[in-house]
Amino acid sequence: MSEAVLDPKTLAVETERYHHFITLALWLAAITGVEIVLIFLPVSPVVILTVLSLLSAIKFFAVILWFMHLIYDARLLFWLFFAGLALAFATFAAMIILFSVDRIDTKWFA
Amino acid sequence: MSQDAAPHAPTSTGIDHKKLIMWLFLASDCMFFGTLISTHLLYRKLYPTGFTDAAGHQQFIQNLFNIELTSFSTFILLMSSFLMALAVSAMHKGELKSFRRNVLGVIFFGLIFLGCQVYEFTHFFHQGLTIQNSVLGSTFYVLTGTHGTHVAIGILWLVLMYFYSFTGKLGGHVGALDVEVAGLYWHFVDIVWIIIFTAVYLVEYLGPSGIWGDGLPAVTK
Amino acid sequence: MSHDTHHAPVASKLDLAPERSDLGFYRPDRTTGLFDWLTTVDHKKIGVLYGAFAMLYFLIGGVEALAIRTQLARPDQTIVTARMYNQLFTMHGTTMIFLGVMPLSAAFFNFLVPLQIGARDVAFPRLNAFSLWAFVFGAFVLNASWLFEFAHLAGWFDGFAWHQALVYTDFAPANGWFSYAPLSGTFGQANAALQAPRFTGVGTDFWIIGIQILGIASLAASFNFICTIINMRAKGMTMMRLPVFTWMTLFTSFLIILAFPAITVALIELMFDRQFGANFFNPSAGGQPVLWQHLFWIFGHPEVYILVLPAMGIVSEILPTFSGKALFGYPIIVFSGAVIAFLGFAVWSHHMFTTGLGPVPTAAFALLTMAIAVPTGVKIFNWMGTIWGGRVRFTPPMVLALGFIWMFMCGGFSGVMHSSAPADSQQQDSYFVIAHFHYVLLGGVLLGLMGGLYFWFPKIFGRMPNATVAYVASGLVILGFNLAFGPMHYLGLAGQPRRTHTYHAGNGWEDWNLVATIGAFILGIGVFTAFANLVWTAFKGKPCSSDPWDGRTLEWSLPSPVPEYNFAQSPVVATRDAFTEHKHGAKRISYEADGGEAGIHMPSQSWMPMLAAAGFLFIGFGMPMMSMGVPHAGWLVITGILVLFVGIWLWAVEGPGGYMLKTPSVAPAPAATPSVAPSAH
Repeated sequence: MSEAVLDPKTLAVETERYHHFITLALWLAAITGVEIVLIFLPVSPVVILTVLSLLSAIKFFAVILWFMHLIYDARLLFWLFFAGLALAFATFAAMIILFSVDRIDTKWFA
Repeated sequence: MSQDAAPHAPTSTGIDHKKLIMWLFLASDCMFFGTLISTHLLYRKLYPTGFTDAAGHQQFIQNLFNIELTSFSTFILLMSSFLMALAVSAMHKGELKSFRRNVLGVIFFGLIFLGCQVYEFTHFFHQGLTIQNSVLGSTFYVLTGTHGTHVAIGILWLVLMYFYSFTGKLGGHVGALDVEVAGLYWHFVDIVWIIIFTAVYLVEYLGPSGIWGDGLPAVTK
Repeated sequence: MSHDTHHAPVASKLDLAPERSDLGFYRPDRTTGLFDWLTTVDHKKIGVLYGAFAMLYFLIGGVEALAIRTQLARPDQTIVTARMYNQLFTMHGTTMIFLGVMPLSAAFFNFLVPLQIGARDVAFPRLNAFSLWAFVFGAFVLNASWLFEFAHLAGWFDGFAWHQALVYTDFAPANGWFSYAPLSGTFGQANAALQAPRFTGVGTDFWIIGIQILGIASLAASFNFICTIINMRAKGMTMMRLPVFTWMTLFTSFLIILAFPAITVALIELMFDRQFGANFFNPSAGGQPVLWQHLFWIFGHPEVYILVLPAMGIVSEILPTFSGKALFGYPIIVFSGAVIAFLGFAVWSHHMFTTGLGPVPTAAFALLTMAIAVPTGVKIFNWMGTIWGGRVRFTPPMVLALGFIWMFMCGGFSGVMHSSAPADSQQQDSYFVIAHFHYVLLGGVLLGLMGGLYFWFPKIFGRMPNATVAYVASGLVILGFNLAFGPMHYLGLAGQPRRTHTYHAGNGWEDWNLVATIGAFILGIGVFTAFANLVWTAFKGKPCSSDPWDGRTLEWSLPSPVPEYNFAQSPVVATRDAFTEHKHGAKRISYEADGGEAGIHMPSQSWMPMLAAAGFLFIGFGMPMMSMGVPHAGWLVITGILVLFVGIWLWAVEGPGGYMLKTPSVAPAPAATPSVAPSAH
């Protein structure tokens, strides 16, 4: 037996969100398309990388905030998740910097 | 009151226990995937030249990539995320049939994604990229394989939830919460893929040897 | 149908009618005795179980330590072989950290946190039980490696083909508790995945899978506790009114959920190297062994703060109680805990100063390591401020807490000496490091945890440990540990290296090693006395009142032992240290109108958490058996995964159940003054 939640306020909220979801899904697909085109453009890799990172971040936060409801939920949840995310990113950055020896001569094991 | 005691009981923050614990888990999973992705990327930085393929030549991994296939599977996963959001929405409205349709869609798209992954792995393996023959193979397969395992667990969860919805016990506030929590997990798996798609696939296309390279030709034997 | 129960309230769970879960099996709510303990979801019982296992493993780890010290008492001894020595220090470290300190801290988290925040249980009682059993089974898997080792040494496996085919015959791990690659990994590819050449035998695999299982146990528990502390506080219990122990539990739990993923990944990568021929740490294919060090210490450094923060929390409860004063600088102590937790993620490479990171990273990590001494120092000043001007009672817990402050400071001083990279280049891998971390772990964490045991035992069991025995045991512990580890500062600076099974005469190390061994035995006697006395007290100790120490926090307002429902009526607090102010006339605690004849909702007991955790037993034995070459061992792992998944599914589907338990309708009045004189012996 389900207590069907049919009160008009919830219904209105969910219907509005439904339209947001569709819009968002279309945008996500579009951004993904842009990314794929981007990598084949004859532009400096640094620029492309920056734009790719930005676009990924937009997709990332869009899914979190809307699909995962965070924008409608308590702020605490956002900051809890962000703590994990920020720490992961900081650890990643530190690791990349620490392994700053490039182009190890591969003839010894390739 | 504890979760088992009374699901409707008020909590100090007004957030449901299950939702809170899932977000905590996702924060932790960020560190988990972050470490795996870091391992892959730092090894890409160290060895931009890739791996030795079946024919004995130095190979760039981008030559193995089928960007159309991967783009397709990325798009599929994004759409599965969209359907999941619809499923959660349907559950909030108490529309069980709509929920079931959408969840079935998520499962179906998830399986397509996994199918593409399996196809891709098999293709790379036959081209000569294995877990054993290079660092690149190790990091690539373990990273994407771990993500795939997360997807598979999510599919299993949704399949069980789909069947559970026929028992009549999935409903009301608790049912909507349970579906929402499953949705959170599924969306997270999707956003991890967003990062993997960019950091593992797309960046390999920037210049002949990827973003860390300087355009020099690969070392050949 | 609803998941909630509609039973009439009962006075005792034994009065319940048998009830079936949604699966059709009877819920084990009416069990007593062993089955009650095995199916319990009561945080208090779970805490006691954690504590009991922890004390057992402390003793096992202690025996391993005494074996080490016996071997090192004189130069050039052959009491144990070099390999056995390596296994001893590996298992000693791993056992003490993961099976001793962490579970004992978990025991306190479990028992105290719901009481201190005014809740009736944790947020997810069955998940709590799952954490416990995952820990029990993981601990068993890890120590089962010893059983395999002894069986091997006794020749029981000699007739088996798989045993004869083994290249390396170590069954207990021998790579240190940090198991550095490439020693623990592989070198070069072989033809078949499962025969990738390695440097070590099955012992490493036991270590990998054991730690992985224990990690899952810790993670599950920590998610639960963060959720509980954030979400289940009584009315009026704002975050800044929480007892400091609860705050430290919260920070420790955050450390766990954010640090353990790093070791999980490192272990997965190492396991893939060993089992499937991957190359994460394989130098001949380009793997970077130093990556293992990074990943391990990204986990390992927060881990040491996971070990110490709970003890700091305990000390922050004991000092105010026995100084008769509120904690000095409560907000700053809380904030320092947060800063320590945060900075703990930023200092990991101070374990790697001698790996050639480069001058900039080395300097950065050295600076950050020095920085982390600051919030620790702030705490120490605040504790001293707490004691200053108070009416100090030197009860056993207070003696141990004071010991913590002093000994932990000594450990901190040697730690700050390590933070200088040039100095560390001599100290690294010498006995100086052993001195440092034993001062912080024994002088700090152990004294703090022992203090906590003596402090809260009366609450847990309603019996008071004998004070004379407590003083004697504490004295032996403090004396023994200083004798054992004090000289190691000198030995390290004089050049004695770590992790070597013996040393030659003539370096001037012999005498202090002998002193250290004597100290170790005194320490062992002290710890054993304390634990034995505590266990005896639990069964036969002198009954005491519910508030023998004139405590300050909510748990002391409850009867001893605490009834299963915790609070007869849910409390509503109006201030920090509400119980103290309430006792002295200020009426800071009121009670909600719940409970009584209408009853309160109790979670149902369940077999499912233990059943699911049992999957870890199969996985834990299956994976090393795969390495041994035992045929079909992979199926054991698959079985284990299936058991885990099926167990979780059953757990989900059985439904939370629950029943209504009547509570006394009048909340027991907190004692205005303690009924036992505080300094009575």
